[in-house]
Amino acid sequence: MAVKTAKRTEQVPQVYWRDLGGRILLTNDFGSHALMTEAEFRRYIKTGAAPSPALKEKLGPAGFLRERLDMEALVAGWRKRNAFLFAGPGLHILVMTLRCNQGCLYCQSGAVKSSGPGTDMSWETARRCVDFAFASPAPAITIEFQGGEPLLNWGVLKKTVDYARALEKKKGKPLNLALISNFTLMDDKKAEFLLSRECSICTSLDGPADLHDRNRPLTGASSHAAAVKWLKYFKRRSDNQGPGYRIFKPGALLTVSKGSLGRGREIVDEYVRLGLEDIFLRPLAPIGYAKRAWDKIGYSPEEFSRFYSGTLDYIISLNARGTRIKEKTASMFLEKILAGRDPGFMDARCPCGAAVGQVAYDPRGQVYTCDEGRMMGWEGDDMFRIGDVRGLDYGKLAAAPASRACCASSNLEQQPMCSRCAYRPWCGVCPVYNYEAQHSLWGHMPSNGRCAVFMGIFDAIFRALAAPKKAKILAGWTGK
Amino acid sequence: MKKEKNLAVDDAVYSEEALKLAAYVFEGRFRVSLKRRGAKTEILFPGAVPEDAAGEFLNEALNQQCRLDLMKKNSKVANIIVTRMLLSASGGNKKGGVKK
Repeated sequence: MAVKTAKRTEQVPQVYWRDLGGRILLTNDFGSHALMTEAEFRRYIKTGAAPSPALKEKLGPAGFLRERLDMEALVAGWRKRNAFLFAGPGLHILVMTLRCNQGCLYCQSGAVKSSGPGTDMSWETARRCVDFAFASPAPAITIEFQGGEPLLNWGVLKKTVDYARALEKKKGKPLNLALISNFTLMDDKKAEFLLSRECSICTSLDGPADLHDRNRPLTGASSHAAAVKWLKYFKRRSDNQGPGYRIFKPGALLTVSKGSLGRGREIVDEYVRLGLEDIFLRPLAPIGYAKRAWDKIGYSPEEFSRFYSGTLDYIISLNARGTRIKEKTASMFLEKILAGRDPGFMDARCPCGAAVGQVAYDPRGQVYTCDEGRMMGWEGDDMFRIGDVRGLDYGKLAAAPASRACCASSNLEQQPMCSRCAYRPWCGVCPVYNYEAQHSLWGHMPSNGRCAVFMGIFDAIFRALAAPKKAKILAGWTGK
Repeated sequence: MKKEKNLAVDDAVYSEEALKLAAYVFEGRFRVSLKRRGAKTEILFPGAVPEDAAGEFLNEALNQQCRLDLMKKNSKVANIIVTRMLLSASGGNKKGGVKK
Protein backbone atom coordinates (compact mmCIF):
# COMPACT_ATOMS: atom_id res chain seq x y z
CA MET A 1 0.00 0.00 0.00
CA ALA A 2 1.12 3.54 -0.59
CA VAL A 3 1.01 6.42 1.86
CA LYS A 4 1.05 10.08 0.92
CA THR A 5 1.76 12.85 3.41
CA ALA A 6 -0.17 16.08 3.28
CA LYS A 7 2.40 18.32 4.89
CA ARG A 8 6.10 18.82 4.46
CA THR A 9 7.78 16.81 7.17
CA GLU A 10 10.89 14.69 7.54
CA GLN A 11 9.16 11.98 5.55
CA VAL A 12 9.46 11.70 1.76
CA PRO A 13 6.26 12.24 -0.24
CA GLN A 14 5.53 8.62 -1.00
CA VAL A 15 6.43 5.35 0.64
CA TYR A 16 4.89 1.87 0.36
CA TRP A 17 4.18 -0.43 3.27
CA ARG A 18 3.02 -3.95 4.05
CA ASP A 19 1.97 -5.52 7.33
CA LEU A 20 3.93 -8.74 7.82
CA GLY A 21 2.11 -9.62 11.03
CA GLY A 22 3.94 -7.90 13.86
CA ARG A 23 6.45 -6.08 11.68
CA ILE A 24 5.77 -3.42 9.09
CA LEU A 25 7.81 -3.33 5.92
CA LEU A 26 8.45 0.13 4.50
CA THR A 27 9.78 0.52 0.94
CA ASN A 28 10.27 3.33 -1.57
CA ASP A 29 10.93 3.98 -5.25
CA PHE A 30 14.69 3.94 -4.64
CA GLY A 31 14.47 0.22 -3.81
CA SER A 32 15.24 0.78 -0.13
CA HIS A 33 13.45 -0.97 2.69
CA ALA A 34 13.11 -0.77 6.46
CA LEU A 35 11.39 -3.03 8.94
CA MET A 36 9.78 -1.53 12.03
CA THR A 37 7.28 -2.31 14.73
CA GLU A 38 3.69 -1.17 14.37
CA ALA A 39 4.20 1.55 16.99
CA GLU A 40 7.30 2.84 15.23
CA PHE A 41 5.49 2.81 11.91
CA ARG A 42 2.52 4.75 13.34
CA ARG A 43 4.85 7.36 14.76
CA TYR A 44 6.74 7.66 11.49
CA ILE A 45 3.56 8.12 9.46
CA LYS A 46 1.81 10.49 11.89
CA THR A 47 4.69 12.74 12.91
CA GLY A 48 7.00 12.34 9.98
CA ALA A 49 9.85 11.84 12.42
CA ALA A 50 12.21 8.89 12.65
CA PRO A 51 10.91 6.78 15.55
CA SER A 52 14.34 6.38 17.16
CA PRO A 53 17.94 7.56 16.65
CA ALA A 54 18.88 4.06 15.46
CA LEU A 55 16.09 4.05 12.88
CA LYS A 56 16.98 7.59 11.84
CA GLU A 57 20.42 6.34 10.88
CA LYS A 58 18.82 3.61 8.80
CA LEU A 59 15.97 5.63 7.27
CA GLY A 60 18.12 8.62 6.31
CA PRO A 61 20.51 7.09 3.76
CA ALA A 62 17.69 4.84 2.48
CA GLY A 63 15.76 7.87 1.25
CA PHE A 64 12.90 7.78 3.76
CA LEU A 65 13.61 11.15 5.42
CA ARG A 66 13.20 14.32 3.44
CA GLU A 67 15.90 16.24 5.35
CA ARG A 68 18.48 13.53 4.63
CA LEU A 69 17.79 12.86 0.94
CA ASP A 70 21.00 12.26 -1.01
CA MET A 71 19.50 12.28 -4.48
CA GLU A 72 22.79 11.65 -6.26
CA ALA A 73 23.46 8.44 -4.32
CA LEU A 74 19.84 7.30 -4.49
CA VAL A 75 19.61 7.80 -8.25
CA ALA A 76 22.94 5.99 -8.75
CA GLY A 77 21.51 3.08 -6.72
CA TRP A 78 18.32 3.05 -8.81
CA ARG A 79 20.34 3.02 -12.02
CA LYS A 80 22.53 0.15 -10.78
CA ARG A 81 19.50 -1.93 -9.82
CA ASN A 82 17.89 -1.19 -13.19
CA ALA A 83 21.05 -1.51 -15.31
CA PHE A 84 19.14 -3.79 -17.71
CA LEU A 85 17.25 -0.73 -19.01
CA PHE A 86 20.44 0.28 -20.77
CA ALA A 87 21.63 -3.10 -22.06
CA GLY A 88 19.48 -4.86 -24.68
CA PRO A 89 18.65 -8.55 -25.14
CA GLY A 90 21.38 -10.61 -23.45
CA LEU A 91 19.69 -14.00 -23.18
CA HIS A 92 19.16 -15.97 -26.40
CA ILE A 93 17.25 -19.24 -26.06
CA LEU A 94 17.70 -21.66 -28.95
CA VAL A 95 15.16 -24.44 -29.02
CA MET A 96 17.25 -27.07 -30.82
CA THR A 97 14.40 -29.52 -31.19
CA LEU A 98 10.81 -29.96 -30.11
CA ARG A 99 11.38 -33.69 -29.76
CA CYS A 100 11.71 -35.20 -26.32
CA ASN A 101 12.17 -38.74 -25.04
CA GLN A 102 10.33 -37.97 -21.79
CA GLY A 103 6.66 -37.33 -21.13
CA CYS A 104 6.71 -34.91 -18.23
CA LEU A 105 3.35 -34.35 -16.53
CA TYR A 106 3.72 -30.58 -16.53
CA CYS A 107 5.64 -30.09 -19.80
CA GLN A 108 5.24 -26.49 -20.92
CA SER A 109 7.66 -26.66 -23.80
CA GLY A 110 5.39 -28.15 -26.43
CA ALA A 111 7.54 -31.25 -26.82
CA VAL A 112 6.68 -33.86 -29.46
CA LYS A 113 7.58 -37.53 -29.64
CA SER A 114 8.67 -37.92 -33.22
CA SER A 115 10.44 -35.82 -35.81
CA GLY A 116 8.48 -33.99 -38.45
CA PRO A 117 8.66 -30.75 -40.42
CA GLY A 118 9.99 -27.99 -38.20
CA THR A 119 10.72 -30.13 -35.15
CA ASP A 120 14.55 -29.93 -35.37
CA MET A 121 16.59 -26.76 -35.87
CA SER A 122 18.74 -26.97 -38.97
CA TRP A 123 22.39 -25.91 -38.96
CA GLU A 124 21.59 -23.04 -41.31
CA THR A 125 18.90 -21.73 -38.93
CA ALA A 126 21.11 -22.23 -35.86
CA ARG A 127 23.92 -20.27 -37.49
CA ARG A 128 21.56 -17.40 -38.28
CA CYS A 129 20.29 -17.40 -34.67
CA VAL A 130 23.86 -17.18 -33.34
CA ASP A 131 24.66 -14.36 -35.80
CA PHE A 132 21.58 -12.51 -34.62
CA ALA A 133 22.50 -13.06 -30.96
CA PHE A 134 25.97 -11.60 -31.54
CA ALA A 135 24.47 -8.56 -33.26
CA SER A 136 22.63 -7.73 -30.01
CA PRO A 137 23.46 -4.36 -28.44
CA ALA A 138 23.95 -6.20 -25.10
CA PRO A 139 27.61 -5.98 -23.98
CA ALA A 140 27.65 -9.72 -23.18
CA ILE A 141 25.34 -12.53 -24.26
CA THR A 142 24.21 -15.93 -23.05
CA ILE A 143 23.13 -18.58 -25.53
CA GLU A 144 20.98 -21.21 -23.88
CA PHE A 145 20.24 -24.51 -25.63
CA GLN A 146 16.83 -25.92 -24.81
CA GLY A 147 14.24 -28.31 -26.16
CA GLY A 148 12.46 -30.68 -26.14
CA GLU A 149 15.60 -32.55 -25.33
CA PRO A 150 18.43 -30.64 -27.09
CA LEU A 151 20.77 -33.66 -27.16
CA LEU A 152 18.38 -35.25 -29.69
CA ASN A 153 19.79 -32.73 -32.19
CA TRP A 154 23.40 -33.28 -31.13
CA GLY A 155 25.05 -32.80 -34.54
CA VAL A 156 23.65 -29.30 -34.98
CA LEU A 157 24.12 -28.44 -31.30
CA LYS A 158 27.81 -29.36 -31.47
CA LYS A 159 28.39 -27.28 -34.59
CA THR A 160 26.52 -24.35 -33.07
CA VAL A 161 28.62 -24.41 -29.89
CA ASP A 162 31.85 -24.27 -31.90
CA TYR A 163 30.50 -21.59 -34.21
CA ALA A 164 29.42 -19.43 -31.23
CA ARG A 165 32.83 -19.77 -29.54
CA ALA A 166 34.56 -18.84 -32.82
CA LEU A 167 32.33 -15.79 -33.19
CA GLU A 168 33.07 -14.78 -29.61
CA LYS A 169 36.77 -14.59 -30.47
CA LYS A 170 36.15 -12.75 -33.72
CA LYS A 171 33.70 -10.19 -32.29
CA GLY A 172 35.25 -9.84 -28.85
CA LYS A 173 31.85 -10.05 -27.19
CA PRO A 174 31.79 -12.14 -23.99
CA LEU A 175 29.67 -15.26 -24.38
CA ASN A 176 28.16 -17.68 -21.87
CA LEU A 177 26.92 -21.01 -23.15
CA ALA A 178 24.32 -22.99 -21.24
CA LEU A 179 22.63 -26.32 -21.89
CA ILE A 180 19.43 -27.57 -20.30
CA SER A 181 19.13 -31.33 -20.71
CA ASN A 182 17.44 -34.25 -19.00
CA PHE A 183 20.79 -36.12 -19.27
CA THR A 184 19.19 -39.35 -20.50
CA LEU A 185 21.22 -39.13 -23.74
CA MET A 186 24.42 -37.82 -22.18
CA ASP A 187 27.62 -39.82 -22.68
CA ASP A 188 31.32 -39.29 -21.96
CA LYS A 189 32.09 -37.86 -25.40
CA LYS A 190 29.27 -35.32 -25.29
CA ALA A 191 30.13 -34.38 -21.72
CA GLU A 192 33.79 -33.83 -22.55
CA PHE A 193 32.94 -31.75 -25.60
CA LEU A 194 30.58 -29.49 -23.62
CA LEU A 195 33.00 -29.04 -20.74
CA SER A 196 35.91 -28.25 -23.04
CA ARG A 197 33.80 -25.46 -24.61
CA GLU A 198 33.01 -24.04 -21.17
CA CYS A 199 29.31 -24.73 -21.50
CA SER A 200 27.42 -24.59 -18.19
CA ILE A 201 25.10 -27.51 -17.72
CA CYS A 202 21.75 -27.75 -16.00
CA THR A 203 19.16 -30.47 -15.63
CA SER A 204 15.77 -30.97 -14.03
CA LEU A 205 15.58 -32.56 -10.62
CA ASP A 206 12.22 -32.67 -8.88
CA GLY A 207 13.44 -34.41 -5.72
CA PRO A 208 13.65 -38.05 -4.58
CA ALA A 209 13.42 -40.80 -7.23
CA ASP A 210 9.73 -41.63 -6.76
CA LEU A 211 8.61 -38.01 -7.12
CA HIS A 212 10.99 -37.21 -9.98
CA ASP A 213 10.14 -40.35 -11.97
CA ARG A 214 6.42 -39.80 -11.49
CA ASN A 215 6.70 -36.22 -12.78
CA ARG A 216 9.20 -37.05 -15.53
CA PRO A 217 8.54 -40.60 -16.79
CA LEU A 218 11.02 -42.26 -19.15
CA THR A 219 10.01 -45.45 -20.91
CA GLY A 220 11.91 -48.45 -19.56
CA ALA A 221 14.25 -46.53 -17.26
CA SER A 222 14.48 -44.05 -14.41
CA SER A 223 15.02 -40.45 -15.49
CA HIS A 224 16.06 -39.73 -11.91
CA ALA A 225 18.94 -42.21 -12.20
CA ALA A 226 20.22 -40.47 -15.34
CA ALA A 227 19.94 -37.02 -13.77
CA VAL A 228 21.76 -38.14 -10.62
CA LYS A 229 24.50 -40.01 -12.49
CA TRP A 230 25.47 -37.00 -14.60
CA LEU A 231 24.99 -34.43 -11.86
CA LYS A 232 27.57 -36.38 -9.85
CA TYR A 233 29.85 -36.59 -12.90
CA PHE A 234 29.74 -32.86 -13.63
CA LYS A 235 30.11 -32.00 -9.95
CA ARG A 236 33.19 -34.26 -9.68
CA ARG A 237 34.71 -32.60 -12.75
CA SER A 238 33.95 -29.14 -11.36
CA ASP A 239 35.46 -30.00 -7.98
CA ASN A 240 38.63 -31.20 -9.72
CA GLN A 241 39.35 -28.38 -12.16
CA GLY A 242 42.13 -29.15 -14.61
CA PRO A 243 44.22 -26.87 -16.79
CA GLY A 244 42.87 -25.42 -20.02
CA TYR A 245 39.28 -24.52 -19.29
CA ARG A 246 36.87 -23.62 -16.50
CA ILE A 247 34.32 -26.20 -15.46
CA PHE A 248 31.12 -24.77 -13.98
CA LYS A 249 29.21 -26.40 -11.17
CA PRO A 250 26.17 -28.21 -12.59
CA GLY A 251 22.76 -26.75 -11.85
CA ALA A 252 19.34 -28.31 -11.33
CA LEU A 253 15.85 -26.95 -11.82
CA LEU A 254 12.91 -28.03 -9.71
CA THR A 255 9.33 -27.68 -10.85
CA VAL A 256 6.95 -27.73 -7.92
CA SER A 257 3.95 -29.91 -8.75
CA LYS A 258 1.04 -31.04 -6.60
CA GLY A 259 3.13 -34.08 -5.62
CA SER A 260 5.88 -31.82 -4.20
CA LEU A 261 3.59 -30.20 -1.63
CA GLY A 262 4.32 -31.54 1.84
CA ARG A 263 7.67 -32.97 0.70
CA GLY A 264 9.83 -29.86 0.87
CA ARG A 265 12.32 -31.30 3.35
CA GLU A 266 12.82 -34.52 1.38
CA ILE A 267 13.38 -32.54 -1.81
CA VAL A 268 15.95 -30.26 -0.18
CA ASP A 269 17.68 -33.27 1.41
CA GLU A 270 18.02 -34.85 -2.05
CA TYR A 271 19.73 -31.71 -3.35
CA VAL A 272 22.04 -31.64 -0.32
CA ARG A 273 22.84 -35.34 -0.77
CA LEU A 274 23.99 -34.61 -4.32
CA GLY A 275 26.16 -31.72 -3.20
CA LEU A 276 24.10 -29.09 -5.02
CA GLU A 277 24.40 -25.61 -3.55
CA ASP A 278 21.32 -24.09 -5.17
CA ILE A 279 17.72 -25.21 -5.25
CA PHE A 280 15.17 -23.35 -7.38
CA LEU A 281 11.63 -23.72 -6.01
CA ARG A 282 9.84 -22.83 -9.23
CA PRO A 283 6.05 -22.74 -9.29
CA LEU A 284 4.13 -24.28 -12.16
CA ALA A 285 2.49 -21.88 -14.57
CA PRO A 286 -0.84 -22.74 -16.18
CA ILE A 287 0.62 -22.38 -19.69
CA GLY A 288 0.52 -24.89 -22.54
CA TYR A 289 0.17 -28.52 -21.54
CA ALA A 290 0.29 -27.70 -17.82
CA LYS A 291 -2.89 -25.65 -18.21
CA ARG A 292 -4.79 -28.65 -19.56
CA ALA A 293 -3.43 -30.93 -16.81
CA TRP A 294 -3.93 -28.37 -14.02
CA ASP A 295 -6.49 -30.47 -12.09
CA LYS A 296 -3.92 -33.27 -11.74
CA ILE A 297 -0.72 -31.31 -11.14
CA GLY A 298 -1.70 -27.78 -10.13
CA TYR A 299 -2.34 -26.09 -6.81
CA SER A 300 -3.52 -22.79 -5.42
CA PRO A 301 -1.14 -19.85 -4.84
CA GLU A 302 -1.83 -20.22 -1.11
CA GLU A 303 -0.71 -23.87 -1.21
CA PHE A 304 2.47 -22.87 -3.04
CA SER A 305 3.15 -20.05 -0.57
CA ARG A 306 2.86 -22.42 2.40
CA PHE A 307 5.19 -24.88 0.64
CA TYR A 308 7.67 -22.14 -0.24
CA SER A 309 7.70 -20.55 3.20
CA GLY A 310 8.15 -23.89 5.02
CA THR A 311 10.86 -25.07 2.64
CA LEU A 312 12.72 -21.77 2.80
CA ASP A 313 12.69 -21.97 6.60
CA TYR A 314 14.12 -25.49 6.40
CA ILE A 315 16.87 -24.36 4.00
CA ILE A 316 17.77 -21.49 6.34
CA SER A 317 17.90 -23.92 9.28
CA LEU A 318 20.29 -26.18 7.33
CA ASN A 319 22.52 -23.17 6.66
CA ALA A 320 22.46 -22.35 10.37
CA ARG A 321 23.85 -25.84 11.01
CA GLY A 322 26.64 -25.38 8.46
CA THR A 323 25.16 -26.83 5.23
CA ARG A 324 25.58 -24.50 2.26
CA ILE A 325 22.48 -24.42 0.10
CA LYS A 326 20.61 -21.41 -1.28
CA GLU A 327 17.09 -21.06 -2.59
CA LYS A 328 17.48 -19.51 -6.03
CA THR A 329 14.36 -17.28 -6.19
CA ALA A 330 15.19 -15.87 -2.77
CA SER A 331 18.85 -15.34 -3.66
CA MET A 332 17.89 -13.51 -6.87
CA PHE A 333 15.45 -11.24 -5.01
CA LEU A 334 18.00 -10.71 -2.22
CA GLU A 335 20.52 -9.61 -4.82
CA LYS A 336 18.10 -6.82 -5.70
CA ILE A 337 16.91 -6.08 -2.16
CA LEU A 338 20.19 -6.20 -0.25
CA ALA A 339 22.89 -5.67 -2.88
CA GLY A 340 20.90 -3.37 -5.20
CA ARG A 341 22.06 -5.32 -8.26
CA ASP A 342 20.14 -6.82 -11.17
CA PRO A 343 20.62 -10.60 -11.05
CA GLY A 344 19.33 -11.10 -14.60
CA PHE A 345 16.01 -12.55 -13.42
CA MET A 346 13.89 -11.90 -16.52
CA ASP A 347 10.63 -12.83 -14.77
CA ALA A 348 10.93 -10.07 -12.21
CA ARG A 349 11.88 -6.94 -14.05
CA CYS A 350 10.01 -3.77 -14.86
CA PRO A 351 9.43 -3.93 -17.78
CA CYS A 352 9.77 -7.71 -18.02
CA GLY A 353 12.59 -9.26 -20.03
CA ALA A 354 10.39 -10.19 -23.00
CA ALA A 355 12.15 -9.14 -26.23
CA VAL A 356 14.15 -6.40 -24.52
CA GLY A 357 16.18 -8.70 -22.24
CA GLN A 358 15.76 -12.07 -23.91
CA VAL A 359 14.48 -13.73 -27.08
CA ALA A 360 13.61 -17.33 -27.91
CA TYR A 361 14.13 -18.97 -31.31
CA ASP A 362 12.00 -21.93 -32.33
CA PRO A 363 13.44 -24.66 -34.60
CA ARG A 364 12.05 -22.93 -37.71
CA GLY A 365 13.89 -19.71 -36.86
CA GLN A 366 10.84 -17.84 -35.65
CA VAL A 367 11.81 -15.35 -32.96
CA TYR A 368 9.59 -14.88 -29.88
CA THR A 369 9.64 -12.49 -26.95
CA CYS A 370 10.55 -15.31 -24.53
CA ASP A 371 10.29 -19.07 -24.23
CA GLU A 372 6.79 -18.86 -22.76
CA GLY A 373 5.74 -16.79 -25.78
CA ARG A 374 7.35 -19.39 -28.02
CA MET A 375 5.28 -22.10 -26.35
CA MET A 376 2.15 -20.09 -27.08
CA GLY A 377 3.27 -19.97 -30.72
CA TRP A 378 3.63 -23.73 -30.78
CA GLU A 379 0.09 -23.99 -29.38
CA GLY A 380 -1.08 -21.99 -32.41
CA ASP A 381 -1.19 -18.43 -31.05
CA ASP A 382 1.53 -16.18 -32.48
CA MET A 383 0.69 -13.23 -30.23
CA PHE A 384 4.30 -13.11 -28.96
CA ARG A 385 6.09 -13.69 -32.26
CA ILE A 386 8.57 -10.94 -33.18
CA GLY A 387 9.55 -12.16 -36.65
CA ASP A 388 11.75 -14.53 -38.65
CA VAL A 389 15.45 -14.57 -37.84
CA ARG A 390 16.09 -14.32 -41.57
CA GLY A 391 15.66 -10.63 -42.21
CA LEU A 392 15.24 -9.45 -38.60
CA ASP A 393 17.39 -6.72 -37.06
CA TYR A 394 17.28 -5.09 -33.64
CA GLY A 395 15.49 -2.02 -34.93
CA LYS A 396 12.69 -4.24 -36.22
CA LEU A 397 12.75 -6.28 -33.00
CA ALA A 398 12.18 -3.18 -30.88
CA ALA A 399 9.47 -1.92 -33.21
CA ALA A 400 7.59 -5.24 -33.38
CA PRO A 401 4.06 -5.08 -31.89
CA ALA A 402 4.81 -8.05 -29.62
CA SER A 403 7.88 -6.33 -28.15
CA ARG A 404 6.13 -3.01 -27.60
CA ALA A 405 3.00 -4.62 -26.16
CA CYS A 406 5.00 -6.72 -23.67
CA CYS A 407 7.11 -3.75 -22.66
CA ALA A 408 4.15 -1.45 -22.10
CA SER A 409 1.92 -3.98 -20.34
CA SER A 410 4.64 -5.14 -17.92
CA ASN A 411 5.50 -1.62 -16.83
CA LEU A 412 4.46 -1.52 -13.17
CA GLU A 413 4.04 2.26 -13.33
CA GLN A 414 0.81 1.58 -15.19
CA GLN A 415 -0.38 -1.51 -13.34
CA PRO A 416 -3.12 -0.78 -10.78
CA MET A 417 -2.19 -2.45 -7.49
CA CYS A 418 1.45 -3.07 -8.56
CA SER A 419 2.12 0.67 -8.73
CA ARG A 420 1.28 0.94 -5.01
CA CYS A 421 2.69 -2.40 -3.87
CA ALA A 422 5.48 -2.53 -1.28
CA TYR A 423 7.26 -5.17 -3.40
CA ARG A 424 7.19 -3.10 -6.58
CA PRO A 425 10.90 -2.12 -6.53
CA TRP A 426 11.93 -5.75 -7.02
CA CYS A 427 8.95 -7.42 -8.72
CA GLY A 428 7.67 -7.89 -12.26
CA VAL A 429 4.61 -9.15 -14.12
CA CYS A 430 4.46 -11.60 -17.03
CA PRO A 431 2.29 -10.62 -20.03
CA VAL A 432 2.30 -14.23 -21.31
CA TYR A 433 0.96 -15.51 -17.98
CA ASN A 434 -1.65 -12.74 -17.91
CA TYR A 435 -2.71 -13.46 -21.48
CA GLU A 436 -2.96 -17.20 -20.93
CA ALA A 437 -4.53 -17.14 -17.47
CA GLN A 438 -6.57 -13.93 -17.58
CA HIS A 439 -7.11 -13.23 -21.28
CA SER A 440 -5.34 -9.87 -21.39
CA LEU A 441 -1.69 -8.78 -21.46
CA TRP A 442 -2.34 -6.52 -18.48
CA GLY A 443 -4.03 -9.14 -16.36
CA HIS A 444 -6.04 -8.42 -13.25
CA MET A 445 -3.70 -8.41 -10.28
CA PRO A 446 -6.22 -8.83 -7.43
CA SER A 447 -7.10 -12.26 -8.83
CA ASN A 448 -3.77 -13.06 -10.53
CA GLY A 449 -2.24 -16.36 -9.37
CA ARG A 450 1.32 -15.36 -10.27
CA CYS A 451 0.98 -12.13 -8.28
CA ALA A 452 -0.26 -14.13 -5.27
CA VAL A 453 2.68 -16.53 -5.61
CA PHE A 454 5.21 -13.68 -5.79
CA MET A 455 3.56 -11.95 -2.81
CA GLY A 456 3.94 -15.19 -0.85
CA ILE A 457 7.62 -15.45 -1.79
CA PHE A 458 8.34 -11.84 -0.82
CA ASP A 459 6.42 -12.25 2.46
CA ALA A 460 8.53 -15.31 3.32
CA ILE A 461 11.78 -13.49 2.47
CA PHE A 462 10.95 -10.36 4.46
CA ARG A 463 9.68 -12.35 7.46
CA ALA A 464 13.06 -14.09 7.46
CA LEU A 465 14.86 -10.74 7.08
CA ALA A 466 12.98 -9.49 10.15
CA ALA A 467 14.72 -12.16 12.27
CA PRO A 468 18.39 -11.12 12.80
CA LYS A 469 19.87 -14.65 12.72
CA LYS A 470 18.01 -15.58 9.55
CA ALA A 471 18.79 -12.18 8.02
CA LYS A 472 22.51 -12.82 8.50
CA ILE A 473 22.24 -16.12 6.61
CA LEU A 474 20.22 -14.54 3.80
CA ALA A 475 22.76 -11.72 3.47
CA GLY A 476 25.34 -14.41 2.71
CA TRP A 477 23.28 -15.54 -0.28
CA THR A 478 24.03 -12.42 -2.29
CA GLY A 479 27.07 -12.12 -4.57
CA LYS A 480 30.10 -10.26 -3.33
CA MET B 1 -24.43 -21.29 -17.59
CA LYS B 2 -27.47 -19.10 -17.14
CA LYS B 3 -28.83 -15.90 -18.50
CA GLU B 4 -27.59 -12.89 -16.52
CA LYS B 5 -29.51 -9.76 -15.64
CA ASN B 6 -28.44 -6.71 -17.57
CA LEU B 7 -26.53 -3.96 -15.74
CA ALA B 8 -26.50 -0.19 -15.89
CA VAL B 9 -23.43 1.73 -14.73
CA ASP B 10 -22.84 5.44 -14.19
CA ASP B 11 -20.58 7.13 -16.74
CA ALA B 12 -19.09 9.21 -13.92
CA VAL B 13 -17.58 5.99 -12.53
CA TYR B 14 -16.83 3.91 -15.62
CA SER B 15 -15.65 5.59 -18.80
CA GLU B 16 -16.75 4.32 -22.18
CA GLU B 17 -13.15 3.28 -22.90
CA ALA B 18 -12.89 1.18 -19.72
CA LEU B 19 -16.15 -0.63 -20.53
CA LYS B 20 -15.04 -1.30 -24.10
CA LEU B 21 -11.65 -2.61 -22.96
CA ALA B 22 -13.36 -4.86 -20.42
CA ALA B 23 -15.75 -6.18 -23.08
CA TYR B 24 -12.77 -6.94 -25.30
CA VAL B 25 -11.15 -9.05 -22.56
CA PHE B 26 -14.20 -11.35 -22.60
CA GLU B 27 -14.18 -11.73 -26.37
CA GLY B 28 -14.60 -15.38 -27.32
CA ARG B 29 -16.05 -16.39 -23.93
CA PHE B 30 -19.42 -14.65 -23.90
CA ARG B 31 -21.15 -11.81 -25.66
CA VAL B 32 -21.27 -8.32 -24.18
CA SER B 33 -23.21 -5.45 -25.64
CA LEU B 34 -22.94 -1.81 -24.49
CA LYS B 35 -25.69 0.78 -24.95
CA ARG B 36 -25.67 4.43 -23.91
CA ARG B 37 -28.77 5.63 -22.00
CA GLY B 38 -28.30 9.24 -20.89
CA ALA B 39 -25.60 9.41 -18.22
CA LYS B 40 -25.54 5.66 -17.87
CA THR B 41 -24.30 2.78 -19.96
CA GLU B 42 -26.36 -0.35 -20.13
CA ILE B 43 -24.38 -3.60 -20.25
CA LEU B 44 -26.22 -6.44 -21.91
CA PHE B 45 -25.24 -10.09 -21.91
CA PRO B 46 -27.09 -11.61 -24.86
CA GLY B 47 -26.97 -15.37 -25.02
CA ALA B 48 -25.68 -17.88 -22.50
CA VAL B 49 -23.16 -16.55 -20.00
CA PRO B 50 -21.41 -18.02 -16.94
CA GLU B 51 -23.18 -17.47 -13.63
CA ASP B 52 -20.63 -14.92 -12.42
CA ALA B 53 -20.38 -13.03 -15.74
CA ALA B 54 -21.72 -9.71 -14.45
CA GLY B 55 -19.41 -9.67 -11.43
CA GLU B 56 -16.43 -10.70 -13.53
CA PHE B 57 -17.22 -8.01 -16.05
CA LEU B 58 -17.51 -5.28 -13.41
CA ASN B 59 -14.21 -6.38 -11.82
CA GLU B 60 -12.50 -6.14 -15.18
CA ALA B 61 -14.14 -2.79 -15.95
CA LEU B 62 -12.87 -1.46 -12.61
CA ASN B 63 -9.41 -2.83 -13.37
CA GLN B 64 -9.40 -1.08 -16.75
CA GLN B 65 -10.73 2.16 -15.25
CA CYS B 66 -8.02 2.15 -12.56
CA ARG B 67 -5.41 1.48 -15.24
CA LEU B 68 -6.66 4.37 -17.39
CA ASP B 69 -6.69 6.70 -14.36
CA LEU B 70 -3.16 5.59 -13.46
CA MET B 71 -2.00 6.16 -17.03
CA LYS B 72 -3.11 9.79 -16.79
CA LYS B 73 -1.01 10.20 -13.66
CA ASN B 74 2.05 8.15 -14.55
CA SER B 75 2.18 8.19 -18.33
CA LYS B 76 5.22 10.50 -18.48
CA VAL B 77 7.51 8.33 -16.38
CA ALA B 78 6.03 5.12 -17.83
CA ASN B 79 6.73 6.30 -21.37
CA ILE B 80 10.31 7.26 -20.48
CA ILE B 81 10.95 3.75 -19.08
CA VAL B 82 9.40 1.94 -22.07
CA THR B 83 11.15 4.18 -24.59
CA ARG B 84 14.49 3.73 -22.80
CA MET B 85 14.05 -0.04 -22.79
CA LEU B 86 13.06 -0.31 -26.47
CA LEU B 87 15.82 2.07 -27.49
CA SER B 88 18.37 -0.09 -25.68
CA ALA B 89 16.99 -3.21 -27.37
CA SER B 90 17.23 -1.56 -30.77
CA GLY B 91 20.86 -0.59 -30.21
CA GLY B 92 19.82 3.02 -30.63
CA ASN B 93 21.66 4.19 -27.53
CA LYS B 94 24.98 3.46 -29.18
CA LYS B 95 26.89 5.84 -31.36
CA GLY B 96 25.82 5.46 -34.95
CA GLY B 97 22.15 4.80 -34.18
CA VAL B 98 20.19 1.61 -34.67
CA LYS B 99 22.33 -1.47 -35.09
CA LYS B 100 21.52 -3.65 -38.06
